[in-house]
Amino acid sequence: MRTFMKLAWRNLFRNKRRTLIAGTAIGIGLAALIFVDALILGMEENMVQSATSSFLGEGQIHRDGFRDTQEVEKTINDLEGTVAGLEQEEIVKRFTLRTLSFGIITSPANINSITLVGVNPETEKWLSEIDDAIREGSYFEEHTGQAIVIGSELAEILEVELGDRIVITVARAESGDLSQEMFRISGIYSFGIREMDTGLAFVSLDKAQEMLGIGSGVHEIAIKFTDPEYGRDETHPFWKKYSRNGNEAIGWTTLLPQLEAAFELSQFGIFITAIILFGVVALGIINTLFMSLHERMFEFGVLRAVGTRPGRMFQLILFEAAALAVLSIALGVILGFGITLASNISGIDYRGIEFAGVTFKELLHPVLTLKQFIVYPIALFLFTSFVAIYPAWYAARLAPAAVIRKSL
Amino acid sequence: MEVNAQTEIIVAEGVSKTYSDHGVPVSAVKEIDLTIRTEDFAAIVGPSGSGKTTFLNIISGLDTVTEGKVWLNGKLLSEMSGRELSDFRRDNIGFIFQAYNLIPVLSVEENIEYIMLLQGVPKSERHSKVNKILAELGLSGFENRMPTQLSGGQQQRVAVARAMVSNPSIILADEPTANLDSKTGAELLDLMRELNKTSGMTFVFSTHDPMVMERAHRLVTLKDGQVVSDEIRE
Repeated sequence: MRTFMKLAWRNLFRNKRRTLIAGTAIGIGLAALIFVDALILGMEENMVQSATSSFLGEGQIHRDGFRDTQEVEKTINDLEGTVAGLEQEEIVKRFTLRTLSFGIITSPANINSITLVGVNPETEKWLSEIDDAIREGSYFEEHTGQAIVIGSELAEILEVELGDRIVITVARAESGDLSQEMFRISGIYSFGIREMDTGLAFVSLDKAQEMLGIGSGVHEIAIKFTDPEYGRDETHPFWKKYSRNGNEAIGWTTLLPQLEAAFELSQFGIFITAIILFGVVALGIINTLFMSLHERMFEFGVLRAVGTRPGRMFQLILFEAAALAVLSIALGVILGFGITLASNISGIDYRGIEFAGVTFKELLHPVLTLKQFIVYPIALFLFTSFVAIYPAWYAARLAPAAVIRKSL
Repeated sequence: MEVNAQTEIIVAEGVSKTYSDHGVPVSAVKEIDLTIRTEDFAAIVGPSGSGKTTFLNIISGLDTVTEGKVWLNGKLLSEMSGRELSDFRRDNIGFIFQAYNLIPVLSVEENIEYIMLLQGVPKSERHSKVNKILAELGLSGFENRMPTQLSGGQQQRVAVARAMVSNPSIILADEPTANLDSKTGAELLDLMRELNKTSGMTFVFSTHDPMVMERAHRLVTLKDGQVVSDEIRE
């Protein structure tokens, strides 16, 4: 077997230019596959980060049905027990309590509908990036109940500035009576996401609870995990544990189904890239092997004549394909690693571009994983060996007398 | 038919071969009866298209017969599978072709030991046999050269060395001097004649080279695929 491996390796370099062209083509394909995979992983990471860290959190707990109706009465059941449980969870890094209600914001110049969010400023800053997104004023530094933080675009609509007064109107729980309160704008944020910059207004949790008449109740617990993947793993017992007492616990994949669908689409993209790559590989390998085979017909005849068994001929061609695969993989891995690492370091600027409802806020850094350098090369090697079966079978079946006669 | 394998190394009985050339049947060899005896130094001669190479391919198991039977070392070739034929050729026949005999990516030593590798001969034995045959053929010092670094005559000598090194019963040579100048061709033929005398190995040539005919002690002449004369010379 060693003799045939040696023979195959040397045969590969008989026509260096052809081997180099075929190897480079296959190598570029592998590099492209590695890069696309890394890019999509980076995109997913970036999108999840953008989507969950802005405001959403990686998981949420609500009262059953609240997400559909946003009824103010539907506060989380057994809040104390739930909070006590979350504090004990090893996988929970942080969590924060919120109230959410539809409301009207009114300035002397204009009026707009909003979602009024009651937050605990201390815990909220660990979950969302409102504090980081403040462009003017401050994030609840004034601990007065009348402080309100609004988005920059909402400020433009209302034609208000920092320190101006506005009026919030909400419907109270149970009675549905309107409750109005005047607030002073203490901070203006800008996420760069239109829906957030126009549609949300933040007040302190106790003030919101008071306006809504829900006592110490909350509508939402936003959660950040020690590993964001917990938010994706719908089978984790955490979700079942907190989906009881009339509450529901859900991860970001449920909260943002369009994101998961976009990821599935991306995976399909990788699959299609792989199919194209493997198609190119198949044609490249078959073409290279047959060209090489037809150039060496007499030699094959001699090898068969001196007693080389058909099975050995089959083996020789498979080894030649494997040698070409090894060379191509080496090229592809080096190229793929280089390109991906370079773009990982420099980052790709998609900031401000929206995809699947999420706006990229950070530079996109392709993610290098071991899988890209193990699974894809192994798959390519196996596939190359597989497509070489036909040329190998052809070589094994050559009638020695016929090929010698034809070659002379 | 009874074959005496001790004295009759190849027996061809009623051998015919018909090819299909684009659907037209071409009869290359017609009803040949021929026996090659042990230690023969025989030449199968005839003009181009007379069926020399086809007959050589048939008696070596490289090609099949349309009709008739061939025994080699007492074994009926038509009863063997492809794999058995490969093994049989490996162990019993040495081949020398007119050109491109050697595997270009293997060195002289690797080319010569190739058949022994297939036979599973241990490395030390292979090495000593290669050195011995290289010395006998005047090729000592050429072990590590690649075929492209050899002249045509040297390449044919290496081919002879490869054919003989595993000690087969018979050497079949198809136009071995066709690509050599007359001096080199004569030297190669003299070398093979000498080896035939000293080792007792049987040589069968397919040729139309007068130098081969001069040296052969048996001359089988083919014409239009049939044996027209079989002359034994002392």
